[in-house]
Amino acid sequence: MAHDPLELTSGTEARKAFWPTLRRGVGLVRDHRLVLGISIVLAIAGQIFTIAIPWATGRVVDEAMKPKDTDQLRYLIILILGLAIGRFFIMYLRRIISGTMAVNIERDLRNLVYHHLLSLSFPFFDRNQTGQIMNRATVDLTTLRLYLGYGILFFTQHTISIVAVMAVLFWMNALVALLVLVIVPPLIILAVVYARRSQPIVTEAQQALGQVTTQAEESVVGIRVIKAFGQEQQEVERFRERADSVFAYNVEATRLRAKYIPVMDFLPTISLALLIAIGGYAVINDRMSLGDFVTYSLLVGLIVMPLRMIGGWIGDTQRFVVSSQRVFQILDMRPSIEDLPDAQPLPAGGGEIRFEGVTFGYRPERPIIRDIELTIEPGSTVAIIGRTGSGKTTLTQLVPRFYDASAGRVLVEGVDVRQLRLDELRGAIGTVAEDTYLFSASIHDNIAFGRPDATDAEVRLAAERAQAAGFIEELPDGYGTMVGERGLTLSGGQRQRIAIARALLLDPRILILDDATASVDASTESRIRDALVEVMQGRTTLIIAHRLSTIALADRIVVLDEGRIVADGSHDELIGTNDVYREIHDHGLVDRRFVNADGDHVIIPVGHEEGVT
Amino acid sequence: MSRGWGPAGGEVASGKGMRKQGLQRIRRLGRYAGPYRARLILAIVAMFGVLGCTLALPLLMKTAIDSAILPGDTRLLVLIAAVVIAIGIVGIALARVETYFTGWVGERILNDLRTDLFQHMQGLSMGYFERQRTGVLISRLTNDVEALQQLVTDGLTSTVRNILTLVVAGGILLVLDFRLALATIIVFPLMAVLTFVFRGQSAKAYGQMRSRLALVTAALQEDLNGIRVIQAYRRESGSRAQIAVLNESYREANRTTVTSSGWYFPTVEFLAAVATCIVFGYGGYLYVDGTIEIGVLVAFIGYLASFFDPVQQLSQVYNTFLAGSAALDKIFDVMDDEPTLVDAPDAQALPHLIGAVRFEDVRFGYNPERPVIDGLSIDVAAGQTVALVGHTGAGKSTIIKLLARFYDPQAGRITIDGHDLRSVTLASLRAQIAMVPQEGFLFNGTIHENIAFGRPTATRAEVEAAAREVGADRFIEELPGGYDEEVRERGGRLSIGQRQLIAFARALLVDPRLLILDEATSSVDIQTEAHIEEALQRLLADRTAFVVAHRLSTIRNADLIVVLEHGAVLESGSHEELLARGGRYRALYGDWAEAISR
Repeated sequence: MAHDPLELTSGTEARKAFWPTLRRGVGLVRDHRLVLGISIVLAIAGQIFTIAIPWATGRVVDEAMKPKDTDQLRYLIILILGLAIGRFFIMYLRRIISGTMAVNIERDLRNLVYHHLLSLSFPFFDRNQTGQIMNRATVDLTTLRLYLGYGILFFTQHTISIVAVMAVLFWMNALVALLVLVIVPPLIILAVVYARRSQPIVTEAQQALGQVTTQAEESVVGIRVIKAFGQEQQEVERFRERADSVFAYNVEATRLRAKYIPVMDFLPTISLALLIAIGGYAVINDRMSLGDFVTYSLLVGLIVMPLRMIGGWIGDTQRFVVSSQRVFQILDMRPSIEDLPDAQPLPAGGGEIRFEGVTFGYRPERPIIRDIELTIEPGSTVAIIGRTGSGKTTLTQLVPRFYDASAGRVLVEGVDVRQLRLDELRGAIGTVAEDTYLFSASIHDNIAFGRPDATDAEVRLAAERAQAAGFIEELPDGYGTMVGERGLTLSGGQRQRIAIARALLLDPRILILDDATASVDASTESRIRDALVEVMQGRTTLIIAHRLSTIALADRIVVLDEGRIVADGSHDELIGTNDVYREIHDHGLVDRRFVNADGDHVIIPVGHEEGVT
Repeated sequence: MSRGWGPAGGEVASGKGMRKQGLQRIRRLGRYAGPYRARLILAIVAMFGVLGCTLALPLLMKTAIDSAILPGDTRLLVLIAAVVIAIGIVGIALARVETYFTGWVGERILNDLRTDLFQHMQGLSMGYFERQRTGVLISRLTNDVEALQQLVTDGLTSTVRNILTLVVAGGILLVLDFRLALATIIVFPLMAVLTFVFRGQSAKAYGQMRSRLALVTAALQEDLNGIRVIQAYRRESGSRAQIAVLNESYREANRTTVTSSGWYFPTVEFLAAVATCIVFGYGGYLYVDGTIEIGVLVAFIGYLASFFDPVQQLSQVYNTFLAGSAALDKIFDVMDDEPTLVDAPDAQALPHLIGAVRFEDVRFGYNPERPVIDGLSIDVAAGQTVALVGHTGAGKSTIIKLLARFYDPQAGRITIDGHDLRSVTLASLRAQIAMVPQEGFLFNGTIHENIAFGRPTATRAEVEAAAREVGADRFIEELPGGYDEEVRERGGRLSIGQRQLIAFARALLVDPRLLILDEATSSVDIQTEAHIEEALQRLLADRTAFVVAHRLSTIRNADLIVVLEHGAVLESGSHEELLARGGRYRALYGDWAEAISR
């Protein structure tokens, strides 16, 4: 299998491919380009009206007031009102159209990225932490949507404003325009410099804030240890240090703001002064009309805001490119495990599994299992045992094709799993993993996860067989009880029994139990075991187990050591011949665990907490 | 599958009561500004100056037109231009002072508040942490404090500035020409009403938008956490559809904000144009009548902006105030929660422990009406190891929490060497006990810091000795950084067994007289298991120990096995005694023995 370079790299590499990335990033609005075009046209029209109003105001001074012409005054006032009404409709349309476009772009982006993420294969999630991925799916995505949804349009609109206003000013009086517009270059430069200098500090401040969050989390989650050792004060000191560093960065950002923003705010007074001096002089010498002077004073005000925005634009674009690169890294990742174009349906059968010379490692240079030759008869139960790291879980994960073998092949019902339809293959396999994950949903929905259409009776039956029905029915809302992150906290053993029920409901041909009874106590385990005996009838079962009692359920025991099969046979065959097996048996490793292994969690039903959220 | 995400809140509450309470909250927040009064006053004085500079400009424009340009006075013209530049320079200087000190004080308040809140939280009793969800508590320290940023750094000065601008600009307009002023100000109430309607609408819409976005993000987060289950059960399309639905409902909320800002901003621009029309229409007639000068009209146009902007900004400040006071509410709620476990007024330091522990007819329930422990009596001689055994819910963990005095019993008492736990100081108690929770919890920091957690002053040699004692030295020395290796993500890169050994070393280093241990249930491999058992023997020797025990070896070696059921002692004694008695322990042991014999 070709190995994908899955590790997400940092954004710094993005700068190397600035232009192509920018092009590709902007290309994301492709589906919306017509609407974007319309928005831009409307924005231009709106600008024309916006500039026309100060111009008409100047006319009022020159053509109506100076000559004291009340008819002309009435006419011009109606003209200004007309312009204002026209602008109202244009801007209303512009906002509705482009605003809708922006929210649609956002929805499309989210669906694109989120859907893609869910299609990626196990290796991707093994290598990348959820936090990192979430960061890209939220923070970077926000940068993208703001730039694409609003940024491009605003940039265009501001550029048009500046160009149009400057054109009008020059057309009216080139010399005065030149003098009044001296503030344009410094204003842009200041805005750019400010954006450049403050950006890294804002980033640092955010990182420092991240540290505060980490520390807050740690101190809350680890509060028991902190209190048990009486180290509250030490934690407060550590927290204070981190909070102080956020303060320091924020003050630095404030200092920069205090340095640049007031200058940008008051720079236009230079224009005003020059306009008063030069423009006023021109009016006195009849080289300029008073109306033009008024128009000038109003127009200069119109370009200050766009100029400042343009300055920030360069920084926005850089951030956009970096974020695009980070999002594209995810979008460019192909699921490493997909149906072949000519994938075949899973043949009928009893669940035969065959490993032919299978070697696999999460990193090819470090194989976890090597040269596995193993045939598992339909309907049989095989226990896979071995030390931590011997490759037990890895071996079983190749059957539902969570990973593809690096060498050799895995066959189910005599067909290479890579040639089967994933849907059918995985649909025929029920897995109960070591770390049980439950979703924030009712217990019913969690059990019916693989078959959302299952009836209440079916769910109940599955729960009964998994020995979960007893505790579920004692819960306040029974099967309707919400569990998972936002629901009731269940103990490890309870979670595992729900996961077993979830697998049983599928009525799978192949059942894989990965240390599924590790955290239940001996008494519960013995009940689950009785249930397992029944449910294993007629299916192929792979059990990874530490307990001899569970191992005893198997027809056959496969012992793994450092990724190789070192023994294979029944208990009676192995006890006399195999050292690893005898070691496990004699030392009764897991059976050093005695009773009450079911974690004694405090159960807090939802809605019974105190305080507000 | 319907997910259990309730609305994440975020809707801004309103109403008179809320506002009143909000004001109290703000006043309480104001106390944090106290120490920085001087800077704050400086900032406000500077703000007045900046306001003066800004509002002087249209007046200067008027003077330029009426007194210099029209009469043709070039000297005055140059003078006015010079004054404008001077005002610009003074304005820059004052605005710098204002911006810096406003920001500084705001950040400082935020920082003080955050640290105070953290300190307070650390002092709250264990029960508080068990009642509250972790996420909620973390959110108080992060999101809620952040939500105040705007209010604290900008809210106050912005309110003062805008109200002042309104008053001063309105005054200037009236002085310049009261007829025209009255005519123009007609637009103002219309504008104010529109603005407040819009802000109300958008605050609601943004609240809804935020809570729906939170749902989308939470769903993605959960799907990523459970991705292996999703793929194993082929539920990708279901998850996708669900995210698409949530995403669409978020888009809908988002779309509402587009609609409201769609009408609002163009209307504001339109009203501004109407005001211009009034100034030049009505003003034009007045000019034709010769009762007003052109410069006054130009100045009017200049002041109209200073008149409209504050209305918009004040409405924004109002929203900031609402959002901020909601966050303040949550923060002060935590601050008002008093620690329930505090030293008694006459609490004494616990003398050097010998380690005899007695539970005398103890009753306790997290909810007092539903006791988890009832009528519990245990008598332990100094130096003994006690193994607590029993099914889930029998009260094992509760007993050790009571012993560490995370909670106080509701009836009966717990004594150590004859001292009631409630009569001694918490600090002196905890200094002599050590607790090892189920999963060895590691903090971000080096291995050394983690082992020395309970005694930060311990030397490297002491830390190494403790690690050696529990057999953790072997793997620590193999780490690239040895004892200075940084533990990241709560020790995610160390195995469960290794984390446990570090937790053992941490407990050993404080050399407690009383050890409380919650044995982990996770399975580890044979060698690690052997190391842990060995380490446990060392740890338990020579001190009183309470163990929630899962290992047969631990239970067998215990001096006293206490079998619990429904929060009371069912039977107790040594392994042999209990087997001979033929009670519950015997039955449990039978289950186990049967399990291995199969």
